[in-house]
Amino acid sequence: MKKKAISVILAGAMALTLGACGSSSSTSSSSSSDVVTTGATSTATTSGSSANGDVEELSLWHYFDAADGPMIDQLVNEFNKENPDIHVTATFVSREELMNQYTVGAVSGELPDIGMVDSPDMASYIKLGVFEDITDELNDWGQLDKFYAGPLESCKDSDGKVYGLPQNSNCLALAVNMDLLKKAGYDHTPTSAKEFAEMVAATTDASTSTYGFAMSAVSNEEGTFQLLPWLCATRDGKKGSVSDIDSATCSEGLQMLGDFVKNGYMSKEVVNWGQSDAYNQFTSGKAAFEELGTWQLPTIADDVNGAFNYQVVLLPTGDEGTTSSVIGGENFGVCAGSKHKEAAVKFLEYFCSKEEEKSWSEGAGKLPTRSDVTPNYSYEQDAFKVFQEEMNSAMARGPHAEWPTISEAIYTAAQSVMVNGNTAKDALKTAAGTIDPILKENPLPAESSTSSTES
Amino acid sequence: MGNTPKKMKSVSQKQTREGYAFILPAFIYLLVVVGYPIVYNFVLSFKDLNVQNFKLGTSKFVGFQNYAEILTDPKFQLIFRNTIIFTVVCLVFQFSVGFLLAIFFSKKFTLAGPVRGLLLIGYMMPMSVTGLLGQNIFSNTGLVNDLLSKIGIAGPEWLVNTHTALIAVIIMNCWVGIPFNMLLLISGLTGISPEIYESSALDGATKFQQFRYMTLPLMKSSIAATLMLGFIYTFRAFDLMYIMTSGGPLNSTDVLGTYSYELSFTQFQFSKGSTVAIILFICLFIVGLFYLRLLMKEDEE
Repeated sequence: MKKKAISVILAGAMALTLGACGSSSSTSSSSSSDVVTTGATSTATTSGSSANGDVEELSLWHYFDAADGPMIDQLVNEFNKENPDIHVTATFVSREELMNQYTVGAVSGELPDIGMVDSPDMASYIKLGVFEDITDELNDWGQLDKFYAGPLESCKDSDGKVYGLPQNSNCLALAVNMDLLKKAGYDHTPTSAKEFAEMVAATTDASTSTYGFAMSAVSNEEGTFQLLPWLCATRDGKKGSVSDIDSATCSEGLQMLGDFVKNGYMSKEVVNWGQSDAYNQFTSGKAAFEELGTWQLPTIADDVNGAFNYQVVLLPTGDEGTTSSVIGGENFGVCAGSKHKEAAVKFLEYFCSKEEEKSWSEGAGKLPTRSDVTPNYSYEQDAFKVFQEEMNSAMARGPHAEWPTISEAIYTAAQSVMVNGNTAKDALKTAAGTIDPILKENPLPAESSTSSTES
Repeated sequence: MGNTPKKMKSVSQKQTREGYAFILPAFIYLLVVVGYPIVYNFVLSFKDLNVQNFKLGTSKFVGFQNYAEILTDPKFQLIFRNTIIFTVVCLVFQFSVGFLLAIFFSKKFTLAGPVRGLLLIGYMMPMSVTGLLGQNIFSNTGLVNDLLSKIGIAGPEWLVNTHTALIAVIIMNCWVGIPFNMLLLISGLTGISPEIYESSALDGATKFQQFRYMTLPLMKSSIAATLMLGFIYTFRAFDLMYIMTSGGPLNSTDVLGTYSYELSFTQFQFSKGSTVAIILFICLFIVGLFYLRLLMKEDEE
């Protein structure tokens, strides 16, 4: 009897380990499918000269997977050609996996030489010791003042030391389905939250299951990113802020979104939608308005495919004529313990140089992080202009080492309004209960966000 | 018989030494791969390691503070409740349905083998695939609601509603768990000699009596083993929720596994994450002990 039980256990245990192997290959061990190392021209010189130490081998980890995927490979190849003594190898690691690797690497020390990170997360990883202080090197370079303050701030710690460079920027604006708007009887786009709310109501059509508005309010950083413009808007002349999250301004903004859901103008499923889901709703004509990211411009024309006329305008988040948005983007840093710090900094300086910033912005549909770069987009010129203008009103998230906890409090508040129908005021009071003690100990940098991005 | 006591002793000593040598690799493996992380986690759960003091190395021991904070946190209580509901409901459904299927497929009929094999497909899928499937099946306009609307029922907003999201996740987990239970129970069933059924039939036992007084007692250890494995497998669930709902909406599908991960890897509250992991470990450990006692008692009998 016992033998049989044991055999069952063993069979089960084997099955479990098999299951575990199956899942770990997709999550933890970055072995096979997740990682694509680009064969960045491993020329004969590489293998020959690395033995005598002529060529410095550098690893770079990134999560560019759209139009920018091939671009990073090309850029690395060009850099390697121009610098025969350095050889950078770019490796794709999925975003989630890369973030886990940083956390694990903070303990084990196994990190690449150069790493990519989402700007609001950088402060945490700096605090965890994942990135190397490269302030002196970058000061010698003498071009730090060319970067917009908002994105650059996200590469600094609270003492002002610099750990990396912002490589690309983006923000959020409003995509409008002009046909649906016209059908609802409007000949202009909204310029205030009040007008926007009216239009969202008017464009909703339950019979064709068309919603007025689509956004992401999912329970992760994407949700916070899309919620903040509405919370930190200007209402009655007052600007909402994360350090005063239970203010009337913030709760009015959140209440508006909650009412959209309650009245059926916005699908309740926004609490599960990522930004690409919201985007798909818009491009398939299922939403009259959508909160659009800069990075979606290269594909929007193809995805809409002439089905309707669309336009991109400033987010009408508050008082007449005011707008607010949030800065997104990716930074690159030199990882702690890299034996090739100088070469890595050299690569960063090349990567974020005036010329490369320009071609990257144009090719990948991003905004430059430098004020001396003026990209000439060959598509969606008007939309890009709107995003560039929106950047002036875009706030930074943090930088704060405990931003993930702050972020969680914000999207949880929004979900409790949208799912459970709590009032925005109560929900944000709960959020403030989490956020305020954190900020009391380590305040957010002065809310310099808006003005700082102006060159 | 000719062996002197001394020689016998040396032989047995040699055997003992060989025995130890044989288990040594496994012992070292367990010590390094299982023992060390558990001890490390224990230590961590009594400190206050987080993003602010990680690099500075100024984290200190705080006794049971993490446990006190976590256990009194309403969010943790909700998540613990989710875990228990998820485990118990899954276990009941996947075990009972799995048992029925196992009995059904242990009968020899045409296509029993191939159909049994096909049922295993659900189990062979990686959990992440199951999670993505679940997302589509249970979305507002997904398969389930589409089928419900065909018979005139307006389906709920499965993954949006805090009451139904856990049900959807449980259904997806049973989809995987039923074939798993079936597989383990079939191996137990095939071990029972068909002759005892024949002889009991001659004695006039009904089918139910056969099941109640023969199958069940003879399957006792298989059942205990299946239930325990099922418990472990379900209690430590992670990937299904992570992919299908990210624990949402409003933590309604968060379980200990996802919560521990979120604390450690998203919020960098390493000590709190460890505390949750240790609580998870203790729960599983108790079940393991319970099972061991059961095994030993059976041995004595």
